Amino acid sequence: MSNTRVCPEYAARLETAAELVNKVRDEIKKGVLVKRNLVWLELTGCSGNIISLLDGSNPDFKYLISQMANFIYDNSLMAAEGEKAMEQLFSIRDKEYILAVEGAVATKNNGLYNIIGRWKGEPITALKAIELFGKRATHVIALGACATHGGVSAARPNPSECVRVQSVLKRKVIKLPGCPCHPDWFLGTLAHILLYGEPELDNRDRPLLFYSTLIHDRCPRRSFFDQGIFASKLGESTCMFKLGCRGPVTRVDCPIRQWNQYVNWPIEDDTPCIGCAQFGFPDRMEPFITYNTTRGVRNVKEDSNKPGYTN
Amino acid sequence: MSKRIVINPVTRISGFMEINVIIDNNSVVDAKTEGLLFRGFEKMLNGRNPFDAVYFTQRICGICSTAHSMASTLALEDAMGIVPSEQGRYLRDILHGCEYLQNHIRHFYQYTIPDFVKLPENYPLFTTDQHDFRIPKQKNDQIVEHYFESLDISRSAHEMLAVLGGKVPHNHGIFVGGITTQATTDKIIKIKSILHTIRQFIINKMIPDAYIIAHYYSDYYSIGRGYGNLLSYGCFDRYKELGTLYVNPLEYLDGKISTFDSEGITEEIDYSWYKSQADAYKPLETIPDADMNKKNAYSWVKAPRYFDKPFEVGPLARQWLSGEYRKGISTMDRTIARVLEAKKITEVLNTLLQSLIPGVTVQEEYRIPETAVGTGLIDTTRGALGHWIKINNSVISFYQVITPTAWNLSTRGNNGLPGTSEQSLIGTTVKDVNNPVELGRIIRSFDPCVSCATHVYLQGEHIKSIQVVQ
Amino acid sequence: MVDRESIACQRIKRIIIELENCINLLHVTPCIYTRSMLLYQLRSKMAEIDFLSSMICSKENQIKCSQVAMPQLNQQTQQNHQNQREFTQQELAKYNGLDGNPAYVAVNGVVYDVTNNAAWAAASHFGLTAGKDLTSEFASCHAGQQILNKLKVVGKLI
Repeated sequence: MSNTRVCPEYAARLETAAELVNKVRDEIKKGVLVKRNLVWLELTGCSGNIISLLDGSNPDFKYLISQMANFIYDNSLMAAEGEKAMEQLFSIRDKEYILAVEGAVATKNNGLYNIIGRWKGEPITALKAIELFGKRATHVIALGACATHGGVSAARPNPSECVRVQSVLKRKVIKLPGCPCHPDWFLGTLAHILLYGEPELDNRDRPLLFYSTLIHDRCPRRSFFDQGIFASKLGESTCMFKLGCRGPVTRVDCPIRQWNQYVNWPIEDDTPCIGCAQFGFPDRMEPFITYNTTRGVRNVKEDSNKPGYTN
Repeated sequence: MSKRIVINPVTRISGFMEINVIIDNNSVVDAKTEGLLFRGFEKMLNGRNPFDAVYFTQRICGICSTAHSMASTLALEDAMGIVPSEQGRYLRDILHGCEYLQNHIRHFYQYTIPDFVKLPENYPLFTTDQHDFRIPKQKNDQIVEHYFESLDISRSAHEMLAVLGGKVPHNHGIFVGGITTQATTDKIIKIKSILHTIRQFIINKMIPDAYIIAHYYSDYYSIGRGYGNLLSYGCFDRYKELGTLYVNPLEYLDGKISTFDSEGITEEIDYSWYKSQADAYKPLETIPDADMNKKNAYSWVKAPRYFDKPFEVGPLARQWLSGEYRKGISTMDRTIARVLEAKKITEVLNTLLQSLIPGVTVQEEYRIPETAVGTGLIDTTRGALGHWIKINNSVISFYQVITPTAWNLSTRGNNGLPGTSEQSLIGTTVKDVNNPVELGRIIRSFDPCVSCATHVYLQGEHIKSIQVVQ
Repeated sequence: MVDRESIACQRIKRIIIELENCINLLHVTPCIYTRSMLLYQLRSKMAEIDFLSSMICSKENQIKCSQVAMPQLNQQTQQNHQNQREFTQQELAKYNGLDGNPAYVAVNGVVYDVTNNAAWAAASHFGLTAGKDLTSEFASCHAGQQILNKLKVVGKLI
């Protein structure tokens, strides 16, 4: 590893993904880097991560498929269907490829709760697909809450017995939690792999580039929390701790990155963070929004004369 | 001689499904559509905080998440006896309209176009072995250009949504009472300016592209009809001052349009792996238990029916019922109706944006009732969506979801009649049984979202892709 | 002599605060250079503790040291005594953070106030709710972590 590598976080906090990607483009142009094969498997989930990927900008989806990678397979976007589509997927087995996975892995009835296609007449379950393609990939990137830790697909009582991707793969799986995963988190991670190999990960395999800091630590409403000024309903401009904000337990860069062309994010939308990028979402991040705890802790006798206070 | 054709995966839809048809002399004589993904949201919702349903149910679907936030919010409001302000409704419907645009643009360009237009083969994603591409090169290449341009346009539809919704997919903005935040002047003008660009794209590129495809594939006006029964729960409708901007709750049956009656909705399970005291039940009556040993059942898809009849839902149904488009009911008509609806939605959005009062707060401190029952019916991108909620001890005790795709991709009903999309496949002439492009094109015209329709796959029976059965 | 030990004890306390700060910083710093710097600081502080402890823990000093430390400890205990309200399980259950009640949890027999603790938004924490004895849950997630001493003690569970 080169010693002259700059620290990406401090060099360009906001432009990390774009910067890495531009570098990839330059390196590819110079012939230093070869485009790598990319396979995108949608498993037991809502396919919201591929939609989120389409929402990416600088780099965008076109840039990804034309400049960064040979995008081999994705159920939502590929032209081929049926056998031909599966042929395309299975043709990758002898080659080098990076595997991106969204969705959990349904294991009930030997995985038959989620079939992703038929290969030579046999149904290919999500479980089988991840076993077939997870082992051989040079890197596996699990993105979205379902892939990284089961997410909503594994929410209690977990009717399809969903598990996270790591549970069926005995190998390093890079994890990009979020519901959905922000396109920059994925594209920045991919760019890092293309340029420098695996990015630096924390002890739960999340790239530190994006998942290092609690939302609470960079929250624009932090001063309200410190002063104990809490919102009693949605739509207020103060701290939403009493409504159930999970910013204090969620490590990700939403406050400085923001979403959808960087126009907004949940807290700026006057709603609490629901911890969608934290392991344990959704069961351990609930309640998302509650009014049971918004009535401040105070002596009823003292306060009952104040206008607007009813109990 | 009969042949069975199986297409799996049916790509360019949301989720996983299999088309399974029997062909006799190049004509489809029997068809089954099977969803291949089951997660069981109705069971997951039991015991949860009712407010959480708004964000939780969005995770049913990544491409139409906003639709579920609309239906769950309506169900909650009904249960809690809350009537949102008109400003609250405008704001919420603006977000919903943005979702329509994102969906329609992505469905038309990313999901439909690759069926009819030859995409550049130097991209591995676009390789295909079908050869039925009829559009001349120059026009073809122009549409390819629009395919890539559309990525920016559909993305900006989501950007509009996020301006008031926080983020998408899985927005935070739509909530009981309307939306969570205030539409300040800067936000309104931002949405207006993005909307202007999207509208220009729809008028100048998307609609002409659809008609180019329709011109070269005019035979698709005569296949994939289905029953021709149309249904809508209504959307952008019955505002106090603005009236109905798009479509009221209506149904179309035997050439007659009449008012929709929510009492007519039932689900039938004779051909599905479920057991319950009744074979047909109303949405709030029961969530049946699974029973995989049931005879005659061939799928986990239930069969929603309206007064015992299968109905088609979606853009064509709405365009027909509102009187905007009544040229016909077919595969190509669905695609034309979809792009025309996109234009209509931009007009609706403009009217709603003009009617906004900047800086209005619509949120209150809400209390969950001890016990309550609520229904939320709304027409969303893919058609009629219903959420039904029961609250007991202030938590969710029952949650029912009937999605548009359940209507369109339903199994046979208790009377044995095939579901709407199954019916639309039956009778279709497949020119080349080794390359049955017609089937995927017909199914895709319904814009199925199998992530939404909570189904499961039948165990056993390994079938080759094309198999002689007799 | 006594002064020297008390200074050493105070110094150790100070270093422990610095150590905690270093560890907290380590958690939030993504930059590998800053992190190696922090690790270096941790090592040098450990060396200092080692030096100080070997100084005050030699046999003849041990008694004096404990004499110095004891009064402080007593002070703290006395302070806590003021908050030594006794809670039964049922009483604790009322402090669930809902409808204007404070949010209390018990760990190892001590009742803590988490009403305004950042990780306890809406009186809930990773699926756990307030008003309960969470001793085993705490042990399974936070064993060895210095978290409890940051919380306000409100009493003990009987």
